[in-house]
Amino acid sequence: MPDGTTPHFGPATIRIDGRAKVTGAARYASDETVENPAWAFLVTSSIARGRILGFRLDEARAVQGVLDILTHENVGGEAEKPKPMAGGDTTETMESDRIWHDGQIIAVVVAESFEAAREAAHKVRPDYEEEAPSASFGSAGVVEEVRKAGEHKDYRVGHAERAFRDAEFRVDQRYGTPTQHHNPIELFTTTCEWRDGKLTVYEPSQFVYGLRGNLAKQLRIAPESIRVVSRYVGGAFGSKGGITARTAWIAVAARRVRRPVKLVSTRDQGFTIVTYRAETRHHIQLGADRNGKLTAFRHEGWEVTSRPSQYNVSGTETTARIYACPNILTKVNIVHADRNTPGFMRAPPEGPYMYPLECAMDELAFALRMDPIELRRINDTQTDPATGLPFSSRSLMECFDKGAARFNWSARNPVPGATRQGDWLVGYGCATAAYAANIGASSARVTLTPDGRARVQIAAHEIGNGAYTVLAITAAEQLGLDVADVAVELGDTNLPAAGLAAGSNHTAAISHAVAKACDGIRERLARAAILANDSPFAGGDPAAITLSGRALNGPGGAQESLARALARTGEGPLEVTAENIPKGLPPDAMEKVRQGQMAMSRGHSRDDVTAYAFGAQFVEVRVHARTREVRVPRALGAFASPRIVNPMAAHSQYMGGMIWGIGAALHEKTEIDPVAARYTNDNIAEYLIPVNADVRSVEVLMVPEKDETVNPLGIKGIGEIGIVGMNAAVANAVFNATGRRVRDLPIRIEDLL
Amino acid sequence: MRPFTYERPDATREALKAAAAHAAPPGEGRIRAPAHYLAGGTNLLDLMKIGVAHPSALINIGPLHTEHGRIEASVEGLALGALVRMAEAQEHPAILRDYPVIAQTLQLAANQQLRNMASLAGNVLQRTRCNYFRDPSWRACNKREPGTGCAALEGNNRHLAVLGVSDHCIAHYPGDFANALAALGADVSILALDGTARRIPFEELHRLPGDTPHVETALQPGELITGFHVPAGPWTRRSLYVKVRDRESFAFATASAAVALHIEAGEVREARIGLGGLAAKPWRAREAEAALRGRRLDEHTAQEAAEVAFCGAVTHSENGFKPELGRRTLVRALLQAAEMEA
Amino acid sequence: MEITLKVNGTERHLAVDVRTTLLDALREHLDLTGTKKGCDLGQCGACTVLMDGRRVLSCFTLAVAAQGAEVTTIEGLATEDGPLHPMQQAFLEQDAYQCGYCTPGQILSAIACVEEGHARTDDEIREYMSGNLCRCAAYPKIVAAIQQAKPQMERA
Repeated sequence: MPDGTTPHFGPATIRIDGRAKVTGAARYASDETVENPAWAFLVTSSIARGRILGFRLDEARAVQGVLDILTHENVGGEAEKPKPMAGGDTTETMESDRIWHDGQIIAVVVAESFEAAREAAHKVRPDYEEEAPSASFGSAGVVEEVRKAGEHKDYRVGHAERAFRDAEFRVDQRYGTPTQHHNPIELFTTTCEWRDGKLTVYEPSQFVYGLRGNLAKQLRIAPESIRVVSRYVGGAFGSKGGITARTAWIAVAARRVRRPVKLVSTRDQGFTIVTYRAETRHHIQLGADRNGKLTAFRHEGWEVTSRPSQYNVSGTETTARIYACPNILTKVNIVHADRNTPGFMRAPPEGPYMYPLECAMDELAFALRMDPIELRRINDTQTDPATGLPFSSRSLMECFDKGAARFNWSARNPVPGATRQGDWLVGYGCATAAYAANIGASSARVTLTPDGRARVQIAAHEIGNGAYTVLAITAAEQLGLDVADVAVELGDTNLPAAGLAAGSNHTAAISHAVAKACDGIRERLARAAILANDSPFAGGDPAAITLSGRALNGPGGAQESLARALARTGEGPLEVTAENIPKGLPPDAMEKVRQGQMAMSRGHSRDDVTAYAFGAQFVEVRVHARTREVRVPRALGAFASPRIVNPMAAHSQYMGGMIWGIGAALHEKTEIDPVAARYTNDNIAEYLIPVNADVRSVEVLMVPEKDETVNPLGIKGIGEIGIVGMNAAVANAVFNATGRRVRDLPIRIEDLL
Repeated sequence: MRPFTYERPDATREALKAAAAHAAPPGEGRIRAPAHYLAGGTNLLDLMKIGVAHPSALINIGPLHTEHGRIEASVEGLALGALVRMAEAQEHPAILRDYPVIAQTLQLAANQQLRNMASLAGNVLQRTRCNYFRDPSWRACNKREPGTGCAALEGNNRHLAVLGVSDHCIAHYPGDFANALAALGADVSILALDGTARRIPFEELHRLPGDTPHVETALQPGELITGFHVPAGPWTRRSLYVKVRDRESFAFATASAAVALHIEAGEVREARIGLGGLAAKPWRAREAEAALRGRRLDEHTAQEAAEVAFCGAVTHSENGFKPELGRRTLVRALLQAAEMEA
Repeated sequence: MEITLKVNGTERHLAVDVRTTLLDALREHLDLTGTKKGCDLGQCGACTVLMDGRRVLSCFTLAVAAQGAEVTTIEGLATEDGPLHPMQQAFLEQDAYQCGYCTPGQILSAIACVEEGHARTDDEIREYMSGNLCRCAAYPKIVAAIQQAKPQMERA
């Protein structure tokens, strides 16, 4: 079994769910068939703050085919508000008459058809008592507070204020990132069906057990009476991680109309009925000596959240440990506005917080007249500067060096605005990427059948991460089978529990559980073999027996076919269920997952090492000399990892993350009306994500790395790190191209005119 | 979306008859008429789904493609049937050769799926992307509900117009193709309900918002556009479209310029300029054209023309950059056109 | 109302609301759920199908208006266990997807892109595939898949 002591990149493997995906056979939640469904359509608030005085429903009820209209007046007591996955309080929907934010669910129309439900929903007339809302930073009425210590910590090492004051070179700047929405192409859908008091929910989810456990609490029923099915998820990026308000109301609706109820919410509703990435502000102070050695680092962040929520991402937990520095001070503030509660969105802390640090580093390099890579080399460290713990592995400079060579970084002209090709100004930028190596508790069941095939069953999540294939590869490797011999079932609470597919922990978490179950099978076969007289292993050491090539193999070339060994364990298939609780998690971690809570070991809160994935990212931008459109002809990311299970899908993950980052730097921004506190570009024609023509060369280098401690299989997550350095790499490249330093994202034409 | 009756007449006469059967409110223009013609559906179904348009009757004029689906190029100019699909025109050899600006406005619009569906007339009649107009839950929109105000004035107006706006509406015209038609001085052919044909300058088809932003065109309820006529001219070959947008493709123009030039002996004899993404309607910049006539086209004169084009611009909270971007876009287009071989 | 659609070579009779889109008719009435709803407003391309060989958006097509046309959906490209269309095979081999949700629309759009003659260069493919959004951003691999499938389609 390969482990982290030697880097191991597996063979590129075509996804086992690929055929289902290219033929349309893959069933996403809203593709699941239910008998005679009624259709739900949500009605959402058109004000951001106030109360509902009442509803005029006559017109809506008169629409042919309308079966029911749910409002707080008739169902308010039937469900409790959902608990956010990140903990803390959140806003209400139909539990009361209160409006907390724009686009809040205030009614659900149920009808015979989608068309009738939509028509009636448009005819629901709420009467409001309006109050003036607060939209965001700087709006009247927002409440700012220092983030309470809880899940996240601040760091104070040395005397950062004094060291900054005394520094020879200083960068003292403010940066900002906008509101962003996940906008997976799959809409937020929910189908609920009650049968004999049991509820089945088809909903795209990054955590089916979480959905089950939390929905059970909301509906005040036992979790065992709910089944959640989510076999394929059409993009998630954090938006389908925690439970949101809609699910319980659709369940209530289905109970009321005594039929399955199907909801396919609209694209604009997706901006307000789930979470989003909150806008952030940053104040960065870097102090350095003339050689570029950092002497002071201060990072203060501000994050918007809803009125009742304490949600924050506190990416200072990462920025405090990127560069060696004897004096560190971090602080995070939250700003309450009349908004829905934000939540995880791809690289939740690192995305918005690494951007200002990596821009500031570029600004410092420019002030020092130093190559930005050299500045990072001077401040590289193998010791976590915030805690003094060693990094489990940190190949940052190897990533920079390999990436720089491949990117031809040396061709960069350090003079800003001085390189022009035809009508286009050309610039290069780079940045560090880092993402905590997390791993959660998970269980899995593996079954070996006499025909030499295996079945893996686990309530894990296929969200584009290639989970089906990763587990087939893992099981095949552990059991000595071909990938084609392994069938994988995911996304169903009838299967053994797995945790949240987020925080780039999923592959690590579920692979370890499956590997453990496979090892259980190996052990059962081995134990039976050593006890059998007709076995070549009789009387041997079961631990010395391995599975490969459809056979048991032992010392001295002893071998026995899998079929023969399996027959010895009894009639029929051999089934093993295993749990894996990673080091550092409490013994009840698995039980927590089953109940629907998060149980994840974080790379920055371990007591033995600090575990992070690192990478270096490079971008070439072109800015039209006259009209100032910014385009990215070339990007390269070099990422270090001890183990890559499927390099084919891993490449796609890294690449996709990088392209996401290009979009985040140049396009993505949810516009909010400053007076009404309502989103205005709540569609994907005006909330811009990259299209095919925006993307040209995107190269990914996977850098093998030795790591004996991150986890037994040596798996660092890859789903999020790809975006982390891109914001800054693009912004730094724009500075190199134009001499214009844009500190508020996204960088648009008007910033460069 | 409210239920509607659906008809699919086979001939123009029947289509007009079907439209005539639905009484229209007087003086409100065609937008609020109860009967709508359905061609590609790419804008109409959009507006119906989001609750902005509520026709009670749809008259599918798809079958009329046989009557109004021709592209004819002659010495007099280019005749484009109203039901020619965008994708059909975008690569027509005569258009590519003699009217490149038209081909480019089509190629750079929307995406191939939409261009396969959308008719030229439907494209020309597409409605603003102002998000306050497109979401009926905003109460203040004079274009959607006359007299309710304009939320965009103090709102997110980055995309909205700076030319031709009024205190009642700053919505922009979002299309591309229409800017070429405006620049080239096209005419539009219209059939009235009673079958009477008329032909008006394309520039008169769209109206400025003034104090009636809900009346967007000169069309009366039930009137049907049957085609466009682009006069030939020595400027049409030296023509192009520059579309500046936030992303590389499948995005509306932040600013655009359709230009056509007749240059002889190094001097501009005739310049035609249409501006997109910047104005309340497809915009012809006649003063800028005049500023170029009889002069050499260089950075300096292009700049002067661009200044003239935007001297009447009115900006709001978030679109203050648009006159400058518009000027630069126009200069870029003019200088690029001057370099064309024509 | 009663309508007849010709989908993947088969005539299907169904009763729909006059407002039902081709997209909803396929998904909710004919159980052809390979065609996806990503925005329902013509902004994402996930619902792309072929109508008489041309790629169109099924969310902007009324089912009633689709009568008489030959509609091809993702389910019509290969039989259940039969060989894949070269474009499907190329998407598989190039890993030209991640979550797979936009994939049916991408594949139909890609087939049309080749058949229209808009796949002459990488740049042309990028432009003519820009109507199909992929939030996982498989774009470079989609271009590679089209380049892979194109010669096979041209030979066929």
